[in-house]
Parts: sequence; C-alpha cells; structure tokens
Amino acid sequence: MGMTITEKIMASNSGRESVVPGQLVWADIHTVMTMDYLGKQTFRAFESLGAKQLFDKNRVICVSDHLVPPPTPEFATMLNEWRDVVHRYEIPHFYDLGRQGIAHQLMVEQGHVLPGRISIGTDSHANTYGAVGAVGNAVGVSDAAVAMATGKLWFRVPESVRFHVTGTWQPWVMAKDLSLHIMGMMHWNGHLIYKTLEFGGPAIEALGMAGRMTLCNMTVDLGAKNGIISPDAITQAYLSGRTEDVWSPLASDADAPYDAVYEVDVTNLGPMLSRPDKLDDTAPVEALAGTPFNKAFVGTCTNGRTEDFAIMASILRGRQVRRGVNLLCIPASTDVYLECLREGYVEALVAAGAAFETSSCGPCAGIHTGVAGDGDVILSAGNRNMKGRMGSRHAQIYLTSPAVVAASCITGVITDPRSDDWT
Amino acid sequence: MQSIIGKAWVAKGYVMSFDMILQRFWTAPVDPAENAKWVMAGVDEAFNREDGFKNMGYTFIVAGHNFAGGGKSIEHCITGLMGAGIQAVFATSFARLQFRNAINYGLPFITCKDMNLHCETGDELAYDPATGTIENRTRGTRFQSVPQAPFVAEVAAAGGLMNFIRQRISDGSVATLR
Repeated sequence: MGMTITEKIMASNSGRESVVPGQLVWADIHTVMTMDYLGKQTFRAFESLGAKQLFDKNRVICVSDHLVPPPTPEFATMLNEWRDVVHRYEIPHFYDLGRQGIAHQLMVEQGHVLPGRISIGTDSHANTYGAVGAVGNAVGVSDAAVAMATGKLWFRVPESVRFHVTGTWQPWVMAKDLSLHIMGMMHWNGHLIYKTLEFGGPAIEALGMAGRMTLCNMTVDLGAKNGIISPDAITQAYLSGRTEDVWSPLASDADAPYDAVYEVDVTNLGPMLSRPDKLDDTAPVEALAGTPFNKAFVGTCTNGRTEDFAIMASILRGRQVRRGVNLLCIPASTDVYLECLREGYVEALVAAGAAFETSSCGPCAGIHTGVAGDGDVILSAGNRNMKGRMGSRHAQIYLTSPAVVAASCITGVITDPRSDDWT
Repeated sequence: MQSIIGKAWVAKGYVMSFDMILQRFWTAPVDPAENAKWVMAGVDEAFNREDGFKNMGYTFIVAGHNFAGGGKSIEHCITGLMGAGIQAVFATSFARLQFRNAINYGLPFITCKDMNLHCETGDELAYDPATGTIENRTRGTRFQSVPQAPFVAEVAAAGGLMNFIRQRISDGSVATLR
C-alpha cells in the first residue's frame, strides 16, 4: 500500500519505513517558530523543562509581527521583554521591526521550511508551510517548548483528503476564491478536522507560490491539521537561493489511500466572499454585489504578498478609491514591501487613495494598525471574520480576494472584478 | 478509576476559542485560577462577568462540531475550563489546536457523536473514564464515547505533557521517544 506525501513525511522524520493514519509518532522538527505575542511564554515554558540548551538555536525562528510597531505602552513593554529573551538566547534568526514580516511569510520566504520536513509555529497559520511541500503545523506554547528542548514532537498521523483541482483559472479569480469555495463546500461539519488536505492537479500546478501559500494557509480555517502541495519546478525555482539545505522531491504514491478525494474544476469558479461572522457562510460575488462597506484591508499571511498587490495595482492604477472608503494595505514582509516598491505597485495604490503601513499582522487579529470600530463594515482579504476578530464585536467583516477588494474600493460597494477588463 | 459525576452545560451552537477567552486575556499568564475568572465570557452573555461560568458549577461541557474552533493556539482555553471545574468535554468533534492542548494538559476531550442533541443544560451526567460510557442520570440515557488513545492516558497520568517531558529529560530517556 502506498503512502500520501504527509504520511511519507511523518514516516521519514520519525525513523520509520511507513506509517498509517491514526498512528502516534514522535517526529523530528526542522524548525520551531515563535513570535512576540506568545514568545516569552514559550521560552519560559522551555526553561521550566530542565533542558540544558535549545535543540538548535539556528532552528528556532523568532519574529516580531503581532505587536510591531507597538500601539500601547503595555505592548511596547511586552515587546521589550520579548527582545530581551531572544537576545539572551543569541537567536541568529530574529526578525524584528525594520527587518520584520509576518512569521509565516518569513518562514517560507527566508527558507526556514523545507520540502519533506516538519516545521511548527505558535500561531495557527503555520499551515502555510505546506506550500513548499513541508508539513506546517500550528501548536500551543507547551508543544513549541517541548520541540525547542528535544527537537521532537508527538503527532497523530492524519488521514489524507485530496482536492484534485482541474480547469483553467479565469481572469481576476485567485487562490483565495478556491479556498472560500472549499470552505463553503465542506463547512465546519467535522469532516476535514484533524486531516491533511492535499492539493494537486493541473490548476494547482499552474499556481505560483503566492497562491499556494494562500491555499495552504487557510486549511487551518477549514479545521485541517495541515495543507500540502507536492514540490515541483515552481517550488524548486522559489527555494533556489533561499535555502542551502538539501531536499529531495517527494509526492504521494499513486495507490495511496485517501479518506476522500474531491474533484474541483476552477473553470467555472468566480470570485467568492464569506459573509460576516461565519467563515463557512460563503457566497459568489454576484450574490453580494452592491453591498456597501466603509473599510477595506489587504495584507496578512493569507493575502499580503507581491502578487496580491500586483493584481490590486492593475485594477486601481489610474483610478480612485471612492471617498468614504478607507483602504489599508500591509505587505506581509519587508521583502514583499521592497518588491512592491520596485514594481511600482505601492505608488499606484497610494496614488489611488490607499494607505500603506509597515509589515505586521496589522488589524487582522484586532490588535493594532486600523482595528474595527462599532458599525464598521469591512471588506478584508484576511482569513477570519468572526465577531470581534478585527476589533469591535459590533463590526461586520466580509472576507474575499484582493481583486474583489480593489474593484469594490472604486465603487464603494461589493463589485465583481470581472465587470471590467481594467485596461 | 471512579466515575465522575456532575452537571453539564450544553452548547447550542459553535463554541469558538475566541469567545472562550476574550482577546484582552490572550497574553495573560497561563494560570487555571486566573484564566477561569473570565473563561467562556464571549460564549454566552450570562457568563460575561467575573467567575460567570465558574459559578454555574458545571463539571461537563457537551457540544457539537468543532468545539473550541477558530484557530487560536492559546492554552488559556484549556486551563480556564480546568480552573472553572470542568472535568471532561464531550463533543461530536473538536478543533485540533485545542484538542491537542487538552491532551497536553490532561483534560479529557471525549468524542461522542451527537450526544449534544439528547442532553440539556443542567442534566446530571456520570462519566466512567475506564469504559468511556456516559450516563445521563436526569434522562436515563447512556452514550458510548470513542476510546482515548493510550498515549493520551499516559500524558494525563504524568500530569500533562510538560511533566511527561520533564521526567524524561531528567532521567535521560527523552532521546528514545519515537
């Protein structure tokens, strides 16, 4: 019997020839990520274990992303304490304000995750790492501390569900739309919980790394343990120059067992939205066209990449964000920011009336940089829309793609980006 | 092992981790007594006061799909419930981050299909950890839960994952974990 890619990774990183779903293994951890928000707690938990040192300080990646730049004296103090801890451990890979980015973007972009290996993070969207064929897994503080001490962590080998994605992507339709489509198709009915979501097929192979990251990122919001895409030539090209580490190609076997296989054809997939409060309450853009909103946000580990700002710039260049709408853009990392500057996307968007902020998680987690107030209706390219997610519990969040955000900002109401060719 | 007996709170909809621990407490120290004060504050307005949930005196939670969902990794959700006197949670399914945290803290998160449809808040339940049976003494009904993996019991017996690892670091056996 063959194995899926995730089973192969669980086996090879736990010294086994093979594993089966449900099996419990202690597997080697390639990298552990922790960040300003929970990092001090993580190191304190590590210290309580009695280990003499970190398993490998080059493989403990520390990031300031939730709290930078700090919005309150309390957060500034928390950040100072975090910096003290990181400096005390002489962590080589510390991404702090000035060289910062959202942890999950940095983990992939800076080559800290590798095909065929397991990386964990104390933030839920660690699933993003599957974009390069790694197992990316979100964990709590205790799990991260254990991995920092031992280089290992326990895992239950997940059942695999495959999404075989075919067809041709239509203009202005993005990986985010597929994510929201799958969300609406599967719901939170428990079927995807604990499982590996494996994406493959011609329409996935056609996606660049940005789209792959979006797709794997949101598998946590589907309830899955991880999302993964087999490494291919696009992965090879992306990782080249980002990591010196050696990796081998790997893919699921043809006879690998799946809990379920779903076929999705993107040819007829249009832009999608998720209605306020419930992620799985999705609708095609046609159903919500004309809905007014007053704030818009593009950024986050889901949709804050160069490709996301590129598509926005191609819609908004030479046009204006409607008065009464505040559009906030936050690049996912400093490198993304620089690339957007070089390509002219920042200039096009700022000229159109968008506000740009330095890289951070921003208002996605409701902490700072443009949080939601009572009565706000927000069109967001982020990942979550439950009550209070971006600040006030009396705000409404529609989730969608950067293309829908850009087209809608011109009109001030939810607008189908396919309504124009934007030339 | 003796049965655990007590009153249950039955969830009517999704219970989200964000609502179990409100954002202002996310960076608070992990401490069962402190975390219990405001646990579940966003789940029901009746719990939105200091010790609001704890003072109800529930021993069990009974819920549907994706209990503690929404993707927060914070361990306060678990320690808050433990500090509030919860000794087991029964649900159709659990969100994996908090399922993992519950295992790591030794709080039984027990999968039991659709039990929430046949229980009401305030019902008295008796849970037998040895057999996995849950008796609803108010209604005279019984449910069979999915057995826990041996590893889960082993971690719970050690007093949680941190203690489990502490022991193995201290006696040098941590390298043999596979």
